[in-house]
Amino acid sequence: MTQPKSFPIGRRTVLKAAAAAGVAQVAAPFVISARAAETVKIGLNDPLTGTYALLGKNEQIGCQLAVEQINKKGGILGRKVELLVEDSTSADTGIAVQKAHKLIDRDKVNFLLGNVNSAMAIALGEVSNQAGILHIVTGGHTDSVTGTDCHWNVFRVCNTTRMETNSVSSTLFKKYGKKFYFITPDYAFGHTLQQGFEAALKANNGTETGASLTPLGSTDFSSYLIKAEASKPDVIIFLTAGQDSVNALKQAVQFGLNKKFGIAGAQQELEVLEGLPPEARIGTWVFEWYWRQPNVPHVKEFVAEIRKVNGGKVPTARHWFGYASTWTCALAANHTKSLNALKMAKFLQNFKLPPEVALMPNNPFYREGDNQLMPTLYVGHAQEKGKDDPEDLFVVDKEVKGVDAALPVAETGCKMKWPA
Amino acid sequence: MTQLILYNVFNGLIIGAFYALMALGLSLILNLSGVINFAHGGFLAVGGYLAFTLEPYIGFWGGLLLSPFLTAAIGLIIERLLIRRLYGRDPLYSLLLTFGLAFMFEDGTRFIWGPATLPFTVPDWLSSPLSGQFFFLTGYRLFMVLLVTATVIALFVILSRTRVGMRIRAGTLDLETVSVLGVNVRILRNINFGLGIYLAGLAGVLAAGMLGLQPTIGSDLIMPSFVAIIIGGLGSLPGTLLGGLLIGVASGVTSVFFPSASEAVIYVMMGLVLLVRPRGLLGEEGRF
Repeated sequence: MTQPKSFPIGRRTVLKAAAAAGVAQVAAPFVISARAAETVKIGLNDPLTGTYALLGKNEQIGCQLAVEQINKKGGILGRKVELLVEDSTSADTGIAVQKAHKLIDRDKVNFLLGNVNSAMAIALGEVSNQAGILHIVTGGHTDSVTGTDCHWNVFRVCNTTRMETNSVSSTLFKKYGKKFYFITPDYAFGHTLQQGFEAALKANNGTETGASLTPLGSTDFSSYLIKAEASKPDVIIFLTAGQDSVNALKQAVQFGLNKKFGIAGAQQELEVLEGLPPEARIGTWVFEWYWRQPNVPHVKEFVAEIRKVNGGKVPTARHWFGYASTWTCALAANHTKSLNALKMAKFLQNFKLPPEVALMPNNPFYREGDNQLMPTLYVGHAQEKGKDDPEDLFVVDKEVKGVDAALPVAETGCKMKWPA
Repeated sequence: MTQLILYNVFNGLIIGAFYALMALGLSLILNLSGVINFAHGGFLAVGGYLAFTLEPYIGFWGGLLLSPFLTAAIGLIIERLLIRRLYGRDPLYSLLLTFGLAFMFEDGTRFIWGPATLPFTVPDWLSSPLSGQFFFLTGYRLFMVLLVTATVIALFVILSRTRVGMRIRAGTLDLETVSVLGVNVRILRNINFGLGIYLAGLAGVLAAGMLGLQPTIGSDLIMPSFVAIIIGGLGSLPGTLLGGLLIGVASGVTSVFFPSASEAVIYVMMGLVLLVRPRGLLGEEGRF
C-alpha cells in the first residue's frame, strides 16, 4: 500500500487559489472563424463568456448571417468578407481593449464591431478612434457612446438608454403611478438608465422612493428587494440586463412583489424572458426589435434564415444588432467604393437603412451629429406564453419613433470632431 | 430602519445557509485530501442541470433526490480517474487540475444545454411567500433552510458517529497514522470526495430553484464559499458553517446602507480576519 504523503494546504495557497479564480474570469479563449488573404475583415469584439455570453453569441450569429449574405452578393468591393471574433469577457474592460488591439493591430481588421457591455463600448470607441477605423457599436446602450464620448468613426445600432426610458416612461406613469424604486446595475448602463427615468420623474412631478445599486453579476437580489418593498413604491423598476435580470425577476415574483407593486423597466430582451419561469414573465418594457412584425417587409425571411442557424429559435434584438451592424459596414464601403473610414463615416450621416436590413417601420437612419441610429422602439408587456409560438413572449402595445425618444443632438453632449 | 436591518439579518441567514452548504462540501475535500476543488462550482452547475433534465420525468422532488447522487457519481469517477493520481503531490497540481476541470464543466454545460438561461421551476406551493409581512420567507427558502439544517446535522452525525466518519476526521488530523493503522485511505478519500460533491450537487438543485440556470451559475456562486472557509478557519467544519452564515448576514446588512458594497464586504471581512486572526475564527492554531 502506498504511503500517503500529506502536504499541508496553507492559508496562502487557498488565497492564491482564490486570486487565480479571479484571473480565470478574464482568461477566456478567443475564437477566429476563418482566415484568408485579400479578404475584407470585420472584427467582432463581444462577450462569449460570463453574464452576457448569450447576448454576445446572438450578435455573432446575426453578424455571420450578414457576412454570408454579403459574400453571396459579391462581398465588399468585390472581395470576400470574413468575420473575426474575439471574446471580450462580460465584465473586464481591460481584456476587451486588449482584444480590440489584437483585432486592429495584428489581424488588421477593416471594421470593428462591439460591444454588448456599455463600459466596453466606450473603451472600444477610444481604441477604434485612435486607429481611425469605422466602428459600429452593436449593443452597448449607455448614453455617452453617442453623447459625451462620441467619435466621428463610432456609430451605434442599438438605442441610447435615454431613448429607452423616454419611450416607456409615459406608459409607466399611466399604468402604475409616479413613485419609482430602482434596481440598478452598478455600471455605466444602469447609471444612465436611472438618470433617464429620474429626468422623466422630475419633469412629471414624480418621486423616487429609493434605488439599489447592484454589482454586475449579482446572484442574490433578496436584500435589495426587501429595501424596495419597504419604500412602498408604485412600481419597481428593474434596470438589470442579461442573467442579472433573470435572477432579479425570478426572486421578485417568488417574493410576491408583483402582487403588491408594478414591475417594469426599460430595456427587456427575449433572451431574458425565455430564461424565466412562465409566472415571472411579467411587466412593462421596451424591446428594441421584435421578431413578430407581420406587416414589415423582409422580417419573415430574416426570421426563417436565423432559425436555420439558431437551433430553430427565432432571432432576438441581438441578432438584428449584429446583422444591421455588419450590413452597415458593407453598404458604406460599397457605396463609397472605398475602405477609407472617413469617407464611409461621412457617407453614413443621415443614411437610411434599406428595408431588407432595417426590418422595422419608420425608416431607421444614422443621425447626423451623433452617429446614433434612430430606429423604432417597441413598448409593450411580457406574456407568460405565446398563443401559437412558444417564443412569442412579448406584446407590442406601442411603436415609438427613435427621433421622438432621443434627446436632440445639442442635448446629447456630443461634440463631434472630424479629422482635418 | 430597525425593521429593515432585522429583515436583512434574517434574510442573510437564509442566504448564508446556502453558502455554508456549498462551503461544507469544499471544506470536506480540502480537509482530508488537501485538494482545493476549483471544480466545485462546476459540479454545482451539473447538479442543477441534471435536475432540470430529470424534472419532466420525475418531477422536482425526484430531481432533488436523484440529481445530487448522480453528481456525486460523476465526482467519484473523476476522483478515481484524475484527482487520485495527484494525492501526495504539491497541492498546486490538484489545484491546476480542478481549475481546468472548472472550465471544462462550464463549457461542457454550455455545449450540452446551450448558453441560454433555462427556466427551472419549483412546485407552485413552494414558490410563494408564507406571509405578507415576511414576504422574503418563501416556502422554497424555508424548505431550503430546513434541508440545509438537516443535511448539516446528518453530516455531523456521520462524521462523529459512524466508523467512516470517524476515519475521515482522524485522517484530517493525521492521514499517515490512519493509513498505518490499516485504514484504506484510497477508499476513504473516494467516499469523502463523493460526499463533498453530493453537497455540491444538492446546492446546485437548490440554486437552480432560486436563480436562472446557466453555465456560469457555478463560478458565480463559488467565491463566497472560499471566503466562508477562510473566515471560518481552514480545517474546521463548524467554522465553515459559521463563516457561511456570517458572510450572508454581513452582505445583507451592508445592502441596507451601501448596496453597491454588499458584495465587496465579504472580501473586506476576509481581509480583516486574515490580519487579526489568520487561522480563521474557529481554525486550529498552528494547523495551517
